[in-house]
Amino acid sequence: MSYLKLISKFFLISIVALLSIAQSYGQDSDNQVISVGANIGNVPWEFQDTKGQLIGFEIDLVHKIASQLGKEVDIVNIPFSGLFSAVQSNRIDIAISSITITDERLKSVSFAQPYYDSDQSLTIRSDSSVKTVDDLRGKIVAVDTGSTGDIWTSENQQKYGFKEIRRYEGITPAVLDLEIGRTDGYISDIPAMQYYTKDKPNLEVIERIKTGGSYSMMFSKHNELAVEVNEVITSLKRAGYINDLHEKWFGTRAEASTSTAKTTAMPGSKEGVILNFVDTFLNKEVLLTTLPMLMLGLKTTIQLGFISIVLGLILGLALALLRLYAPYVVGFLAKAYIDIFRSIPLLVLLIIIFYALPFVGINLSPFYAAATALVIVSGAYTAEIFRAGIEAIPKGQFEASQALGLSYRHMMIDVVLPQAVKIVIPPLTNNSINVIKDTALASVVAMPDLLKQATQAQAIAANPTPLIAAAGIYLALLLPLVLYVSHLEKKYRLREYA
Amino acid sequence: MKTLIKLESVSKHFGNFRALSNINLQVDEGEVLSVIGPSGSGKSTMIRCINLLEQYDSSGSIIVDNKLVKKGKALREVRANIGMVFQNFNLFPHMTILDNVTLAPMRTGGLSDADAKKRAHALLEEVGILDQADKYPDQLSGGQQQRVAIARALAMEPKAMLFDEPTSALDPEMVGEVLNVIKNLADRGVTMIVVTHEMGFARQVSDKVVFMDSGQIVESGTPSEIFDSAKESRTRDFLKSVLSHEAYTNKR
Repeated sequence: MSYLKLISKFFLISIVALLSIAQSYGQDSDNQVISVGANIGNVPWEFQDTKGQLIGFEIDLVHKIASQLGKEVDIVNIPFSGLFSAVQSNRIDIAISSITITDERLKSVSFAQPYYDSDQSLTIRSDSSVKTVDDLRGKIVAVDTGSTGDIWTSENQQKYGFKEIRRYEGITPAVLDLEIGRTDGYISDIPAMQYYTKDKPNLEVIERIKTGGSYSMMFSKHNELAVEVNEVITSLKRAGYINDLHEKWFGTRAEASTSTAKTTAMPGSKEGVILNFVDTFLNKEVLLTTLPMLMLGLKTTIQLGFISIVLGLILGLALALLRLYAPYVVGFLAKAYIDIFRSIPLLVLLIIIFYALPFVGINLSPFYAAATALVIVSGAYTAEIFRAGIEAIPKGQFEASQALGLSYRHMMIDVVLPQAVKIVIPPLTNNSINVIKDTALASVVAMPDLLKQATQAQAIAANPTPLIAAAGIYLALLLPLVLYVSHLEKKYRLREYA
Repeated sequence: MKTLIKLESVSKHFGNFRALSNINLQVDEGEVLSVIGPSGSGKSTMIRCINLLEQYDSSGSIIVDNKLVKKGKALREVRANIGMVFQNFNLFPHMTILDNVTLAPMRTGGLSDADAKKRAHALLEEVGILDQADKYPDQLSGGQQQRVAIARALAMEPKAMLFDEPTSALDPEMVGEVLNVIKNLADRGVTMIVVTHEMGFARQVSDKVVFMDSGQIVESGTPSEIFDSAKESRTRDFLKSVLSHEAYTNKR
């Protein structure tokens, strides 16, 4: 056990060391180029036109600001929930993506003065019976991971009786599932959804949800650049440029009382502490508040991992036996299955199962879609492991069983498989480790696994501690298995030499 | 006397290689047949055809206890009626000695746990291994393992036993204990075919000796017909080289 502790400690120190290197490395980057992180596809703020050009309200604004500062812009596409750790680790200088200024976020990051006042909105399918948020009782609601919509929906889940909240990384996958009917409503920023549904008659924004909140650009805590950008925004507002952008992208000019037209002070943190390294990456307060979320995620991860491992084992054993002993055609099909599904990336398969199968009438929930993909792939790998194990059993064992008149079934169950199992336990454990790690991919289909929960928690708290905690939990889950495999391999090696 | 095993024009090809060529052979109930001959002469292949561990060519036929040996449902019953002992013992390494012996009677013979154990105890006593019943194969010497393998084959109460070079993988000092067990079975009247290089054993125990070379039966007869007055020069040459070697090792 103390060995385990030592390893965990070593791992933690390594993370901390790597993160500090990343932090200092980011700060040394070229001063003439401003690196801007944006969740591309967030209309009308930052998205691609039909020619693939990046356009949008905030794209125009950030270019204008950079040119005023005499600098160039380099845009990096980052999912919304990833923007927070990206600015904190200085991978990017500025984050844009209609980010709402909140007190919680101001504890860990800085914002320039706001340039847009927003609310949330409810979007539905036009043929839906849902007419207001009240109609969503007992229904499934979609949000963007860690967004203002996510925060509002989570806080009001009890009040409105939402059955389930599905969390997506951006408008496209969220709308896709809304259109298919997997979700009943999508709660997201009103300007984006009004713009997005303009030319989509099957969708309708039916209700403004008054959450208040204003958008601005986000920076790492106490970043000088934030002050410089803030000054430029002041002058741009005075020159009417930002309201020109409003007219360009929304068709009307903003009222004089809004933050689009009026200059305001730079939002300050109520707690003026400078976050040091430990407060940023190993923040105890953030850890304690987000731990229940992480534990929920862990539960899902373990459930998904367990089901996938067990069913994958059964499928793999069946495939291995078919491949080895079935008549030619069946054996060939089994081999084809094994080869194909060992070649397809799991993520691709998962996306096909989740987003493509509904078009042929197979509509799986995120959990079952993820379990199906994991079982299909794990079955293929397990089949190869079993095949190798069975082929390692000496021919004499089969002959002795046959000579005794044992049936095929008893030969396998009593003689061959018990010996094969010993050989295959180390590689099977390795495969199980991979399956559990691969459950993290399920977060792309809005399944609230450990990684997804950690991502959401870090976006809401604007602090990467939940991600570090998730890494620690994965480690605590998998390191014992890894050590067990090493132990078994060593044991079998020793026996061979004995 | 009833004929138990009968091979008629049995041939066997491995691709283009002819391993057996037109074998005709008959073993009566209670008879002990030894098969001798140089390595690669087809001795093992022949007895492996009898329980269909090798599929013989369709031109010939093998009859065991009035039943044709062929693939299909009846094959398991035929196999259960013929015990086989291998050169490399082929015990099940993950089972105790007792479980090795009780497995087939329980799974195929329909014996209860208690009956199978009772039978196993008697057989292990007969081959002198009863005190090792709870050990695993790799804790036993080669000679002991081969005696367990004999008990395992006998546990199905087969009508005949096939021995495929049962002492070839043994250290010299263990050959005797295994041959003694086989000899006791012969004395008890068990029908058997023994592929062997032990000429003294073949001469002493057999009712009939068959000499094979190049996939053919060169000649067969009583032990004294083969060992003292072989008709074929190939038989005489083989015996001369083997016996001079035995004389050399005995002198040493």
